[in-house]
Amino acid sequence: MKKIIAREKLPELWKSLSELGPLFLPVQEGPVVLFQPWQEGAETNLDTTNTAVPPKDLFLPREETYMQYRCKGKELEVIPAEEVKPAVLFGVHPCDLYAVEMLDKVYMEQDPPDELYKKRRENTTIVALSCASPDPFCFCNDFDVNPAEAPGTDVMAQLKNGSVLLEAKTDKGKALLEQAGDLLEDGSGEEFARREVKTADFNLKLDGLPEDLKNRFEDPVWDELFKSCLGCGVCTYVCPTCYCFDVEDFGHEAGGERFRCWDSCMYGHFTEMAGGHNPRPGRKERVRQRFMHKLRYYPETFGQIACVGCGRCLRSCPVNLDIVQAIQALGGETVEQR
Amino acid sequence: MSSVNVLLPQQATILDITEETPDIKTLRVVGKEGLPFDFMPGQCAMLSIPPVGEAIFSITSSPTCRECLEFSIKDVGKVSSALHSVVPGQQIGIRGPYGNGFPVDEMKGKDLLFIGGGIGLAPLRSLIGYCFAHREDYGKIDIVYGARSPADLIRKSEVQESWAEEPNTDVHLTVDAEFPGWDKNVGFVPTYVSDLGFKPENKIAITCGPPIMIKFVLQALEKLNFTPDQVITTLEMRMKCGVGKCGRCNLGPVYVCKDGPVFTLEELNALPAEY
Repeated sequence: MKKIIAREKLPELWKSLSELGPLFLPVQEGPVVLFQPWQEGAETNLDTTNTAVPPKDLFLPREETYMQYRCKGKELEVIPAEEVKPAVLFGVHPCDLYAVEMLDKVYMEQDPPDELYKKRRENTTIVALSCASPDPFCFCNDFDVNPAEAPGTDVMAQLKNGSVLLEAKTDKGKALLEQAGDLLEDGSGEEFARREVKTADFNLKLDGLPEDLKNRFEDPVWDELFKSCLGCGVCTYVCPTCYCFDVEDFGHEAGGERFRCWDSCMYGHFTEMAGGHNPRPGRKERVRQRFMHKLRYYPETFGQIACVGCGRCLRSCPVNLDIVQAIQALGGETVEQR
Repeated sequence: MSSVNVLLPQQATILDITEETPDIKTLRVVGKEGLPFDFMPGQCAMLSIPPVGEAIFSITSSPTCRECLEFSIKDVGKVSSALHSVVPGQQIGIRGPYGNGFPVDEMKGKDLLFIGGGIGLAPLRSLIGYCFAHREDYGKIDIVYGARSPADLIRKSEVQESWAEEPNTDVHLTVDAEFPGWDKNVGFVPTYVSDLGFKPENKIAITCGPPIMIKFVLQALEKLNFTPDQVITTLEMRMKCGVGKCGRCNLGPVYVCKDGPVFTLEELNALPAEY
């Protein structure tokens, strides 16, 4: 099913779709673009390159309360959080959906599935937007990401001459387009433009890198690479394939809640045990852990490097200790300078 | 509801509490109807006590005990400290079991050498109880157990009386220094293991204790010609989820909570030494 809508009519479409549940789409917030729930008058931006933060928080929220507790005398009552409501994610770029597929492997395919994540995935209808103009930090070509196509999306969309062409890829996608009713015109005669999107070429030699790293845990590269790291954790915050979390209680003796929230392997407390022992006590161990997880551990389990070349760590790291620098330092490159 | 959030705890009730040492208590815990879940020796459970939080503990009772789960808990952190203040009848949260457990089938027909230090006896005790309950499946059992002082040994009467009286079983106790009234060995656990001169033939050594003890026990066993596949240990790491997702116990390509905590030395040698 293909549909088409003029761009000036999009606010009407969004109003209609937001009746299904919260509609998340790229919204200009001061200097950055973020996925935000649509509201009347929101300054949406479909022409943006990648949003500052990936939309992983739709499935793995920054904070998520999953139970309340009540204590009365010696009794403890556990009250699970309410069911997840349907949502729509509009305008996500293919690289971010490739990353969601990687999170799916950990959170849905690996036993036991994470029901909190799974329910949000199942209850979210995704409209992917093909990427026309990558920014200078994008290097998804290195990871065989096709910026024009998105895996597992419910609807594929493309900006086209003042219109948006939409094609349903799943039943959920079809239902979404049907919800919009007459707002959408028949697009069956329209074709998605075939686009060759060239992203930055950092000349990364990725073939065989995970295998090569198997014996390089003690490599001298690690003694140098970490030195510029500030330990701020922004790389994990903006990374679409980072998925570590913390679990904490908030409340008092009589009642409160238990929530999980994003956490970062870049922080010292992450592995610090009761009693003070810390298996990854310094920045060297933590920087090594993060890059080895992306480039060696995740690939060993799931058969692919945990990076999609979205470029966010290149854009965000205050000291340029990004994954491209790490891959280059580890020798997965040729002479090309960036 | 067809599917359940694995992070949700179920209610469990404290049956009673034994003070083992000045900083270790053993809690006996039941679910709503008997055991909260079935498990194997070496597996762990997440215990929670709001509003303090959750932490992972090894189950010290044997799965052959159908009455309750037992946890021997040392007061070292926030959650363990809160668990030291519970009273009989109080409800706590529990979820599990987590981890792989000891390879009880592969160990059949072998002589077993248990080497524990301090609170490290807790996970071993589950397996020791299991082996006694299936006594015909296992050969000679030696148990080396040590602590800083006699007051720091846990399950004292069980170790000295019940275990020592089991058929084909020897218990070897040691403490770090001389104490009045102590007539057993004096010396560190690794040294005692060397002194006892165990032979590696058809034997599996299972060890748990403080990291420094494990390190020297492994060296002692190597000197006694134990091969890495004959040595088993169980790791402790910080954990939040218990199901291989939150990332804290990630060690190379494994997650200790789900692929461990039990590893042979051969397996450990293939992993980064970040534990």
